Amino acid sequence: MNKLAIYVHIPFCDHKCIYCDFYSITNYKNEGTYLDCLKKEILHYANLYSDDYKVNSIYFGGGTPSFVSPEYISAILKQIEQSFQISNDVEITLETNPGTVDDKKLGSFLDAGINRMSVGIQSFDKDELNFLTRIHDAETAKECVLKAFDAGFENISVDLIFNLPGQSIEKWLTNLNEAVKLPVRHVSAYSLILEKGAILNKMVLDGKVTLQDEDYDAELYETTIDFLESKGFLQYEVSNFAQPGYESVHNKAYWQYGDYLGFGTSSHSFIKNKRWWNYSSLEFYNRAVNERGHAIAGSEVLTPNMMLEEFVMLALRSDGIDIAALKNRFGKKWLDDNQPILENLKSNGFLNIENGFIRLTKKGYLLCDEILLNFIF
Amino acid sequence: MQNIRNFCIIAHIDHGKSTIADGLLEFTHTISEREAKEQLLDSLDLERERGITIKSHAIQMNYNADDGNTYILNLIDTPGHVDFSYEVSRSLAACEGALLVVDAAQGVEAQTISNLYMAIDAGLEIIPVINKIDLPSAMIDQVKNQIIDLIGCKEDEIILASAKTRVGIKEILEAIVARVPAPQGNTDAPLQALIFDSIFDSYRGAIAYIRVVNGIINEKDEIKFFASGKKYLAEEIGILRLNRIRTGKLEAGNVGYLIANVKELQDTKVGDTVTHVHNGTEKPLPGYKEIKPMVYSGLYPTNSDDYEDLRDALEKYKLNDSSLTFAPETSAALGFGFRCGFLGMLHMEIVQERLEREFGQSIVTTLPNVEYWVFKKNGEKVIVDNPADMPSQGEIERVEEPYVRAQIVTPSEYIGNLMQLAIEKRGVYINTTYIDPTRADMAFEFPLSEIIFDFYDKLKSISRGYASFDYEFIGYRESDLVKLDILLNGEKVDALSIIVHEKKAYTWGQKVCTKLKELIPRHMFEIAVQAAIGNKVISRTNIKALRKNVLAKCYGGDITRKRKLLEKQKEGKKRMKQVGNVEIPQEAFLAVLQIED
Repeated sequence: MNKLAIYVHIPFCDHKCIYCDFYSITNYKNEGTYLDCLKKEILHYANLYSDDYKVNSIYFGGGTPSFVSPEYISAILKQIEQSFQISNDVEITLETNPGTVDDKKLGSFLDAGINRMSVGIQSFDKDELNFLTRIHDAETAKECVLKAFDAGFENISVDLIFNLPGQSIEKWLTNLNEAVKLPVRHVSAYSLILEKGAILNKMVLDGKVTLQDEDYDAELYETTIDFLESKGFLQYEVSNFAQPGYESVHNKAYWQYGDYLGFGTSSHSFIKNKRWWNYSSLEFYNRAVNERGHAIAGSEVLTPNMMLEEFVMLALRSDGIDIAALKNRFGKKWLDDNQPILENLKSNGFLNIENGFIRLTKKGYLLCDEILLNFIF
Repeated sequence: MQNIRNFCIIAHIDHGKSTIADGLLEFTHTISEREAKEQLLDSLDLERERGITIKSHAIQMNYNADDGNTYILNLIDTPGHVDFSYEVSRSLAACEGALLVVDAAQGVEAQTISNLYMAIDAGLEIIPVINKIDLPSAMIDQVKNQIIDLIGCKEDEIILASAKTRVGIKEILEAIVARVPAPQGNTDAPLQALIFDSIFDSYRGAIAYIRVVNGIINEKDEIKFFASGKKYLAEEIGILRLNRIRTGKLEAGNVGYLIANVKELQDTKVGDTVTHVHNGTEKPLPGYKEIKPMVYSGLYPTNSDDYEDLRDALEKYKLNDSSLTFAPETSAALGFGFRCGFLGMLHMEIVQERLEREFGQSIVTTLPNVEYWVFKKNGEKVIVDNPADMPSQGEIERVEEPYVRAQIVTPSEYIGNLMQLAIEKRGVYINTTYIDPTRADMAFEFPLSEIIFDFYDKLKSISRGYASFDYEFIGYRESDLVKLDILLNGEKVDALSIIVHEKKAYTWGQKVCTKLKELIPRHMFEIAVQAAIGNKVISRTNIKALRKNVLAKCYGGDITRKRKLLEKQKEGKKRMKQVGNVEIPQEAFLAVLQIED
């Protein structure tokens, strides 16, 4: 039985944060219609895939999934559980933003079946949070994690952002330190990226905000890796760190090139050699699902070579290339073709080849995208 | 023959040569007004755009003069740029007279003078014309005085014209008839015909434009070309109007075309003499020269896969321009390409631009250089047209480089600036003469290598566009020249090597290193950028290693985008040129061409 990861997009937000380019809306009047459509869409795909797949991860992303009621989430989960085969050890994650939940709500989420919390803290610094236009403050952020823990969530992850304008190394270390003092198992630490659609991008273009240079970014990143590893959080992807055994099942589905289905606006799906994506607009999505059961806005069929490229790219970003898996899926041509390149990268300390894996070193993670350009596909 | 007049027009760029030609053609009903709407003689787009004539043509007019006779007027167009001075001299040799056209607002310019001297040397009757007299800024009296000083004519010999409004056209035609002598040939003498131009026609092969000096040439005649020694059968002979008009023969004194199934343009060499195989002339007409390139540059396809395409394009281009030379060469940095020889800088620009525009080629060029004579200690003489071929420093006894005599005409207030520029460019000052109290004609000798680069642009900028410039080759002279190499992590970038004067090597090296540091993206390792003469490093800088390049987020929805980005970046990388393990963007090579000396 093949493994399947399911992503559900909840587009609703209180407001749009300046660094965000995800599809989100700050208008709740369509919540009910959206739920109906999600259920229809789930059924549509269950008819196609439920026989061959067993779900090992369900992930609620957004938007702000924690903004809707636990009943809302529960209704979606019920629909998935009724339509698909679910693995016993399924990981069910809810992206949660501080300031959107209280003890009661947290308890209800747990009861609904959520077993992993991904808390969008971003920073523990007042000024930085203001800059990022987050609705919460440092205290609320900490409380959110502690309350979730108290409510019974044992698997909690936090998101942090570094290389914010003017952020000193000390300030960033303080943030990291605050995070690891909390009962968390997993940390996602992202270098600030300018997304095309984000407000911040315009602010930078308009000269209102100046970003720090890439060498400084590199320094912060190295600091991050060293600090988190010293606290027992091991890097298993460019921006993701976890205590052993707490790597996100959902993330690994993406990076180990597993199949996944995405439900809701703007979500992406990948099954075998086909990838497709839904309409971003809530209105388009709703109408499409009502008319034809799904809301596919575009799709692509991947050639074996494209798949190889993606496989290598994703594996290299994360746990490394599983040589046996690579050979099994794509043959050994790539390895033969790239042998001298791999050796060269190895001798320059960018990667290690051991225990059947080609894995980037710390120095390699920093230059992951540059390294990818060296390979022949 | 008494009723034939052969003439050309000498003018500086933009002084109105083409409009005057149009006026003459229209007045004699050779072309209609509508046909004259565009400057007719300049048939290449590029030429029209730049207002310069590159390939000369000829056209015949019939003119009913006031004396009641009908005259055959052959207007022979001359290329208007210094790079083509040999072609100009051959066109002049086909004429008995020349219109000297001077812009009423601009006055006499360097090019006017140099072409004028050539015309006078060729013994041509000069008819001075001041054009654009209706311009508000016209300074007719001043220009008149300049012309009188220059050629020693009388004031009433100068025709005032405005070609645009067709003022003075009739006066010009009458002056041609009255003042240009009829050709003096002998129809009974053995055939001597001068090739003053040629074009390539894909159906007919090379077509020679000829001036018959002596004898008669008939279709079906067996003929031979002196320079190549090749023999042909004259297939078609005629005169030139807007189109070719077949007449079957051409007599001494007349101008026309000759088609003789000549396969390649280089067999109809400008300046060559055509004669009969039987009872032909013993000796060719004087003045023939093998044209040799003066400036060399490497041309490489941007994408190395396009090498064969570039070769095709060059071959096709050469069909119409035999002065271009090219030979395959290989560069470690740029791959397979061609070492091309040009008559001068303008010629080089034209070739590059036409290859890109008309042949769709995307090319990278190396720094232009001249041909050096290297005398080795072992007595050997090596001709170097590519810095990569320079013998090592220790083997060299001396190096000689081509020198030119340059003429610069400038408003006198810029003399100081020009002297300064001349010193920078290793110029040797010869003298200054004054055309009138405000305009000086300065003579210098320069190494050719110093003026093929950014000299013209600098000249224009320091004189606010007023100074004009012309040059001619005078010979080879010894100089303190060295080969300067650029190294990336110890590997030579052969395409960036130059031969430069010892005193300029340091500054140049420094500028190139700085430029490369700016344009070569950071790599995964540090890159040492060095400039060196032989083993001696004279300038050095470092490109720091890239520390971070990784996308922070790559989840389900990001994968397609990330793959596409990767593919795009790989495409970009393909266009880079590689030296050792360093990748150099094309822009770096182009930027070096822009560095100011």
